[in-house]
Amino acid sequence: MKFSKTLLGLATSAALMGATAAQAEIKIALAGPVTGPVAQYGDMQFTGAKMAIEQINKAGGVNGEMLEAVVYDDACEPKQATAVANKIVNDGIQLVVGHLCSSSTEPASDIYEDEGIMMVTAASTSPTITEKGYQLIFRTIGLDSLQGPFAANFIINDIKPERVAIIHDKQQYGEGLATSVKDELDKAGVNVVMFEGVTSGDKDFSALIGKLKKENIDFVYYGGYHPELGLLLRQSSEKGFDAQFMGPEGVGNPDITAIAGAASEGLLVTLPNSFDQDPKNAELVAAFKAKEQDPSGAFVFPAYSAVQIMADAMSAVGELDTYAMADYIRGNSFSTPTGELSFDAKGDLKEFSFVVYEWHDDGSKTPVK
Amino acid sequence: MLRVTNPMQEQFLYFVQQLLNGLTIGSTYALIAIGYTMVYGIIGMINFAHGEVYMIGTYIAFIVIAGLTYMGLESMPMIFMAALLVSMVVAATYGFSIERVAYRPLRGRTRLLALISAIGMSIFLQNFVRLFQGSRDIAIPTLISGGWTFGDASTFEASLSYMQVIIWVVTLITMAALTLFITRSKWGRACRACAQDLGMTNLLGINTNNIIALTFVVGAALAAVAGLLLGLYYGVVNPYIGFIAGLKAFTAAVLGGIGSIPGAMLGGILLGITEAMTSAYFSSEYKDVVAFSLLVLVLLFRPWGLLGKPEVEKI
Repeated sequence: MKFSKTLLGLATSAALMGATAAQAEIKIALAGPVTGPVAQYGDMQFTGAKMAIEQINKAGGVNGEMLEAVVYDDACEPKQATAVANKIVNDGIQLVVGHLCSSSTEPASDIYEDEGIMMVTAASTSPTITEKGYQLIFRTIGLDSLQGPFAANFIINDIKPERVAIIHDKQQYGEGLATSVKDELDKAGVNVVMFEGVTSGDKDFSALIGKLKKENIDFVYYGGYHPELGLLLRQSSEKGFDAQFMGPEGVGNPDITAIAGAASEGLLVTLPNSFDQDPKNAELVAAFKAKEQDPSGAFVFPAYSAVQIMADAMSAVGELDTYAMADYIRGNSFSTPTGELSFDAKGDLKEFSFVVYEWHDDGSKTPVK
Repeated sequence: MLRVTNPMQEQFLYFVQQLLNGLTIGSTYALIAIGYTMVYGIIGMINFAHGEVYMIGTYIAFIVIAGLTYMGLESMPMIFMAALLVSMVVAATYGFSIERVAYRPLRGRTRLLALISAIGMSIFLQNFVRLFQGSRDIAIPTLISGGWTFGDASTFEASLSYMQVIIWVVTLITMAALTLFITRSKWGRACRACAQDLGMTNLLGINTNNIIALTFVVGAALAAVAGLLLGLYYGVVNPYIGFIAGLKAFTAAVLGGIGSIPGAMLGGILLGITEAMTSAYFSSEYKDVVAFSLLVLVLLFRPWGLLGKPEVEKI
């Protein structure tokens, strides 16, 4: 027993020495929720980023150095996020993929910018994050301010409704989207009859549905999340109100079918492109499947791209100099699994495409446009 | 589009529709409000954990419904009765235990202590359920569907679902039973005596501890009735529904006059109808603003609520 332990110890230390002697390692912090109610979204981000790191290492690393992922849990809480950011600073890490929730990313990005750390988020969509003129903050996902006009375009050109109602949940995300859809529709001369907020957490929409019926609404855009829209759909079908409904990616998850049941059939949802359905990514999808990981999550591929962009910039610059890397990222475009990416001065993607999906009552979806 | 009915009729149907909607929400506010008002009437304490008991009632009802359906039971009345019975019993147990654990040890101390204990209990129960059931919405399919419609589909059609009628009928029966219990039974008389003078009732040989426990049990059972009804009506539950429902029911109790059972009923229905009418004729955004302004107005002119009794300073 004692012998084997010693042997094991020797073997491990030999292996460790071998590793450190061969090449230095560049650490990349992966920050996001490991615990808490949105941990499933954090998983998507970690899965994508880790896969990218693994594949880059397999191909020889960056400038001969290997990448190493270090996971930090912010539980999607702003307070935790700043603690995590300070920990990353103290741990001497220069590169961060994260955070996930916009409310966490915002305070954390301040700290990274001050400390010369580069951060690329693969999931935070709030426009305000990049509005402070940061140098080192980037993102590989589309903004809420892109999604609203995209949805509005689809409504104007493909649905051509007569009487529109726009409902939102009075929160930053939902009301922001609803307002941008309304502005676009107003510009195009579409008849927006109602623009109303509901309280998030409300269970009873009967009075609102009565009003929608009375106003002869034939199209409803909902800005918000699935729990409220699910109930709105369910109660609408029970009360015989059969307009076309549409919502953003916040409603597009299988839970809406669990809540609304058959009433979720035909709902329109704007979602980022399904990168795992792209034939160009077949090899990468197979690599995820081989490890029994799910590549279909919305943030898996953007997180992969985030790591890849950092690695590409680093090898082009030749060293881990975040300011030089940031200049390189702004000045070049990158061929990634999420498409050809280029960034504007704020650090946002110049282009990000959304797709309109039609939802079905078994929780599946088919692309409409 | 050809309009066959005249606009007056359309307006009237719309009004009736919103009245029916408001009455449905109001009935369930009233059921939950009774739990607040009974406890306040007797020990002068606000039981903030009451909303959580309602939430637990919904969960239990869902579990029973899912279990019985899984075992192949198809008779809807049977499932309904079983869910009602089990959730009432379990919720009553919770009510009893909450009183025993969190409030009885603090009786006779300052009221603030019991209030903090109540808030703590509420947070505890919410997170306890969240840990065991998860924080995501749990949904069941619509079990009782269908209803009546009035008016012309081409203009405005008012609808009344069977479930809404069931909510009124069950609420009405429950209220009637409670009123009989309070006014006619021996225990009810003891309850009323406690509400008038707790110390004196104790001196007269009634075990007031038991009577206080009884009010918690009855209040919790009524919250479970509301839990089942609203659970079936909306079809979803999550660990956080107790907070908003509790807040609304508490408002209803204060509006009607806290401590008064008919007041809780009136307050609940008034609140429900105010909310529905605000959504209908202004905007659903202002629903809570108007409902709470109403509360402030009533309390300005009648601080003891609509049906409450002004407190006489005892010298």
